[in-house]
Amino acid sequence: MKRYIGRRIGYCLLSLFLLSVTIFFFVRVTGDPATLLVEPGASQADLDAIRHQFGLDQPLLVQYGIFMASLAHGDLGQSFYYRTPVLDLYLSRLPNSIYLAVVAMALSLVIGIPSGVLASVRVGRFWDNFGKLFTLLGLSLPSFWVGLVLILVFSVYLGWLPSSGAGTPLHLIMPAFALGWYFAAAHMRLTRSSMLEVLGSEYVKLARLKGLPQSLVIAKHAFKNALIPVLTLAGINLVIMVNVATVVEVVFAWPGIGRLLYEGVTFRDFPVVQGVVLMGGAMIVIVNMVVDILYAVIDPRIRLGS
Amino acid sequence: MDASADRPGRRRSLGQGPDVTRREALALAAFGLVAGLPRSGFAAAPQGQLTWGVHTTLAPTWFDPAETPGIITPFMVLYALHDALVKPMPGQPMAPCLAESLSASEDGLSYEFVLRRGVKFHNGEPVTAEDVKFSFERYRGNSQEMMKNRVAEVEASDPQHVRFKLKEPWPDFLTFYAVASGAGWVVPKEYVKKVGEDGFKKAPVGAGPYKFVSFTPGVELVLEAFDQYWRKTPSVKRLVFKVIPEEATRLAALKNGEVDIVYSIRGELAEELQRTPGLTLKPVFPPAPFWIYFPEQWDAKSPWRDERVRRAASLALDRKSINEALTLGLSKLTGNSIVPDIFDFYWQPPAPVYDPDKAKQLLAEAGYPKGFDAGEYTCDGSYSNLGEAVVDNLQAVGIRVRLRPLERAAFFEGYANKKFKNLISSGSGAFGNAATRLEAYAVKGGTYAYGSYPDIDALFQQQGTELDQKKREATLHKIQQLVYERTMYAPIWQLAFINGVGPRVGESGFGLIAGFAYTGPYEDLTLKSG
Repeated sequence: MKRYIGRRIGYCLLSLFLLSVTIFFFVRVTGDPATLLVEPGASQADLDAIRHQFGLDQPLLVQYGIFMASLAHGDLGQSFYYRTPVLDLYLSRLPNSIYLAVVAMALSLVIGIPSGVLASVRVGRFWDNFGKLFTLLGLSLPSFWVGLVLILVFSVYLGWLPSSGAGTPLHLIMPAFALGWYFAAAHMRLTRSSMLEVLGSEYVKLARLKGLPQSLVIAKHAFKNALIPVLTLAGINLVIMVNVATVVEVVFAWPGIGRLLYEGVTFRDFPVVQGVVLMGGAMIVIVNMVVDILYAVIDPRIRLGS
Repeated sequence: MDASADRPGRRRSLGQGPDVTRREALALAAFGLVAGLPRSGFAAAPQGQLTWGVHTTLAPTWFDPAETPGIITPFMVLYALHDALVKPMPGQPMAPCLAESLSASEDGLSYEFVLRRGVKFHNGEPVTAEDVKFSFERYRGNSQEMMKNRVAEVEASDPQHVRFKLKEPWPDFLTFYAVASGAGWVVPKEYVKKVGEDGFKKAPVGAGPYKFVSFTPGVELVLEAFDQYWRKTPSVKRLVFKVIPEEATRLAALKNGEVDIVYSIRGELAEELQRTPGLTLKPVFPPAPFWIYFPEQWDAKSPWRDERVRRAASLALDRKSINEALTLGLSKLTGNSIVPDIFDFYWQPPAPVYDPDKAKQLLAEAGYPKGFDAGEYTCDGSYSNLGEAVVDNLQAVGIRVRLRPLERAAFFEGYANKKFKNLISSGSGAFGNAATRLEAYAVKGGTYAYGSYPDIDALFQQQGTELDQKKREATLHKIQQLVYERTMYAPIWQLAFINGVGPRVGESGFGLIAGFAYTGPYEDLTLKSG
């Protein structure tokens, strides 16, 4: 077991190393940040001074070496735009993103799972067709459009909710809905298909043959088992929601990590982009590692097989 | 009376000698106007709150004048938190603020400022010459290398007097010190030393009309009126700057009454703003002209070598229609392609003309009666709507170009590295004066100059050492005239920066300071009574 865990940790570190190489060199392909930190027409001396200040005049490998050395000390570097440590920026935005993601996830599950169950037990009927339409709209309507429509209706016309910003629970409602809308559709679709699969299984047929009421079969025998893949997907989606809710956060001026990434990309703030991508990558890698280890704990065949 | 009169060495108060710039002459007039104004002893207490929807993310570096990069945005905050010895103010491109007077030596080697008495920082410390010296020495923003290379020494002989000694005469010293950088903005030396550089950004203390209250990165900045501000007690008690990056959301927040002022509303949204009862559209004009550049005008094989072809391209532009379609007709149509009208040494050329028939005639005379394939029209992708309109106009007279919009950073990198051909469209909002703008765009070795003309280069060298401001002005006018006559550039417009103001606002401050894109001065802003 120890060897297995050691190997998983090794794979994690390798993944993060490859991610660091990829993101470091890819952001540098996008252009010179110095040109965005001054007005067009700035002197060559000012451009050179900015490049020197941020170490951009060093060879790429030297820059990468400095980056990795800092990373080894838990330092993600200093933002070009904010001139503050990236880790501080990330941590200051993280609670907002978690808050938004958790509420959006709760909304998506509250909407997605019951509608998925309903669609699966009413196949080909009104609720199923309604669910298909909901899924189609949820997955195809862009979240920025959903966001702007929500603002128009609930802020401008009705005046019920603040259009943007953060600070009160009211600020959270529209961004959480706009973010959760897409995931609700995804969860609904998965719940439906998972339920249909389970409802067609032998043990459910047996339960029905035993004369159990339909509600009990669905709630106790089918739903619990069908929920496993949905919750697995929800866990991964939660990490995605925390890290890349960029569009929703920009539309609603929500001060989260997605907007930090947007600002990093907009201003060619290499350390911010690197930091956000690495932290997001680290979250996903660690979650996967924990899941792998838990699987191995539960099922010895996995660790023995590996 | 000039406090320098009792000091050794001949000095001249700026504006009195024969060799003063327009800026300096206005500054002198301002000394009489502003410095003499008594501060009202019975000013009403500040009241109420004004809230902004800001289009860009506020950075803590903007709280510190020492970090000022070469962009105008930080001045949005600096005008509230801090103050400078002299700075652009309403009707005065270089108004005295913390300095009550200024004089320059006859040889152009030193400038002396006399500080206003009784001015305090927000923490109660007096503003002294030592703070001015300290602020200049810790300055590390744009143009810092140039300024520090040219300034030999800063002397703070007593708390009210500070003298800048230059290594050699530098006619643009005041332009850079007072207008084109944050070097002339003053921070409290003792406080900065006490809290450190990072501490200063977290809790900045300045001598401006508003005190720092709180800053939540990515969310908002809150300021409160400083009732001991020397110029006047601000009318509005609290200022809140909310960051709202999405344009449609900013407009929604303005319509909803969540904010009172929004920056940067364009196109259809600007029309929507204009149509909405109670909201007011406020265009301002930062020093940002846009142009078409002909980088192949020095290439003997290129059609663009022929001045008639370049002039034809300029005549083909229906600027009025483009302006009405894209900026509600609010942008300024200017004949001076690269130098904005508020800059010192600006030369006023004839207004641009739209004459497609003349353009076709010129093309025919140049040997292109059926037009020609002109290659690519490269521009910053954020202005591709402008590029599309211009390309349509050029094609209508037979100049067949393809639009090539590039991502902003890639565009400016390629532009500066001289990678583009055919036609380039760009603009600049960089600070400075006509000389600094020409240096970057029209003179040999300029960052964005793909070539140059020897006579223009010679004239530019000549003005750089000319201490007689009138002669210098004449030379710089001549250069701009040559740039115009040779159609080195085809002008498009001076872009209007369009903003919105809500019904609660009395004086919004838009347009009070010439060339300033934002609201200001903040102490002049008011809410409507009742």
